[in-house]
Amino acid sequence: MTRPRALIAAAGFVLCMLVPLVITQDYQLNVLFRVFLFAGLGLAWNLVGGYAGQLSLGHAAFFGIGGYGLALFHGKLGVPIWGALALGVVAAVLAALVIGQVAFRLRGPYFALSTIAFAEVLRLSAKNLTSITGGDVGYQAPALFDDSPSRWFYWSAVVLTAAAFAVTALAARSRFGFWLQAIREDEDTAMAVGINPARTKLRALLISAALTAVGGGLYASLFLFIVPDQMLAIDISNEIAIVAMLGGAGTLTGPIVGAALLETASEVFKNLFHEAHLLIYGVLIVVVVMFLPEGIVGALTTWWRRRNR
Amino acid sequence: MEVMLWSAVQAVLNGILTGSLYALVGMGMALIFGVMRIVNFAHGAFMMLGMYATYVLFDRAHVSPYLGFLVAAAMLFATGYLTYEGLLRRVVERSDFMQILLTLGISLILTDGVQLIFGADYHQINIPLLDVNVRLNQHVSLNAPWLVSFGITVIVATAMFWFVMKSRLGRALRAISQNRYAASLMGIDVMRIQALSFGMGLAAVGVAGGLLLPVFYLYPGAGDQFTLKAFVMVVLGGMGSIGGAAIAGVVLGVVESLTSLYWGNEWAVVVDFLLFLAVLSLRPSGLFGSQRV
Repeated sequence: MTRPRALIAAAGFVLCMLVPLVITQDYQLNVLFRVFLFAGLGLAWNLVGGYAGQLSLGHAAFFGIGGYGLALFHGKLGVPIWGALALGVVAAVLAALVIGQVAFRLRGPYFALSTIAFAEVLRLSAKNLTSITGGDVGYQAPALFDDSPSRWFYWSAVVLTAAAFAVTALAARSRFGFWLQAIREDEDTAMAVGINPARTKLRALLISAALTAVGGGLYASLFLFIVPDQMLAIDISNEIAIVAMLGGAGTLTGPIVGAALLETASEVFKNLFHEAHLLIYGVLIVVVVMFLPEGIVGALTTWWRRRNR
Repeated sequence: MEVMLWSAVQAVLNGILTGSLYALVGMGMALIFGVMRIVNFAHGAFMMLGMYATYVLFDRAHVSPYLGFLVAAAMLFATGYLTYEGLLRRVVERSDFMQILLTLGISLILTDGVQLIFGADYHQINIPLLDVNVRLNQHVSLNAPWLVSFGITVIVATAMFWFVMKSRLGRALRAISQNRYAASLMGIDVMRIQALSFGMGLAAVGVAGGLLLPVFYLYPGAGDQFTLKAFVMVVLGGMGSIGGAAIAGVVLGVVESLTSLYWGNEWAVVVDFLLFLAVLSLRPSGLFGSQRV
């Protein structure tokens, strides 16, 4: 990232951190929390799904491990709250190590399917192992913040997004980032020029899983009570991927744009349609695939380049 | 001891009957994903559509589901043809990525569209046949609706197998899957054949949906679990093998049934997925296939 752009990003971060001075209502802050949470998750996903071109539809696994890690390490083993959050992240990274070993041997649709299968095995196991997770009855997650939590959750989501953004920005211009993109474009050629695709993809997944687990921990702590169908749901995996794809997979700002659009739209539609608000996701996905395959930011970039030529 | 043995026999037989319906879903997917290479994440949602079609006919016009499934199949054939012509046609040449997203989007639209119209309530239909049981001996008995659907499934599966392996259309389709470009040079209308085949694949799913209605709960998410199961069957059976997918369906049914018996119902699907991951990483050509993934 060039210096002026870095300055713009820093200014944007400061502005976002100042928002709670203007907006003080809990409801509005919670909607904004969701926007930034999914922006952060989308950016984390983007490393694997966008830059490396590996369509993961199982990121709920890392999200859920982050959430359940926080709740269980604190509740069962008495680890201090922030330590439990950190251990949840470690657990997610370890899980990513295992999942990556199996899934990255597969390509295309098989990779996507295996990531779903892993996430589903975790969800169903969390449902069934009632003595550990409480199953469908749920488990209590500790509160990360006691004083004016809405504000603090909002701030932490912004920090998560900023961290994921910084990681992506650094990665995108580093050798590691170019390796990822080379693998996306043609894995065999990448291997032929001396890139180790398995190790590079795995590294991206580990970073992605760590960031996703932090998001899961925040989410769990906001709700204070978690069930497998919420923390490990296929819907979470899909939402993360859709946010990034809608904004533009493999672009730096895409996931943020996608999250802002999708989360506000789904909030509006939740109030309009109540039960069937996922309909808007479906329609948005179809529209993006048919007319904006590069996502919003991707399409704008192409248009801008063409105009300035 | 003897009772335990018979309960295992009962579980295996139940598994075969359930598995035969899975086989239909799996064969539809084998046609769409295995042969046509379209990654169809809306498979289960289409099946749910077939269930609702059969349900509406039963509920409003008192048509038996054992006739209604034909209407569901016809409806899904048309839906499949139109979906292919309208949407899928434009992404088949693009990455799997786009196909997955598009069919995921279609799946969400179908599921939530149905929920918007019919609500999220569970429905279950009641037909006299459900109370009929065929006793084989003191310990083993089979529920009549499952036997009827098993018979119908065998007929439909045979017809499908014949269609893909022997008919002109099926031959053209397999030619396309081998080499799209060469097939079009041989005078095959690629787009039309693909649209027809996608319709056929969904028709199989429609039959399965109609036959499942009497023995299953109906709700907008009823098909969701079948999408992944269908992929599991295609991989297990070997890519591109219609017969393999059918056998894999029965295997899956038996595995689930035995898992339920010994470990509990809640672990059945977990075993499905573990089997899937094991096959993908250890034997990617499937249990019965020869083609590499």
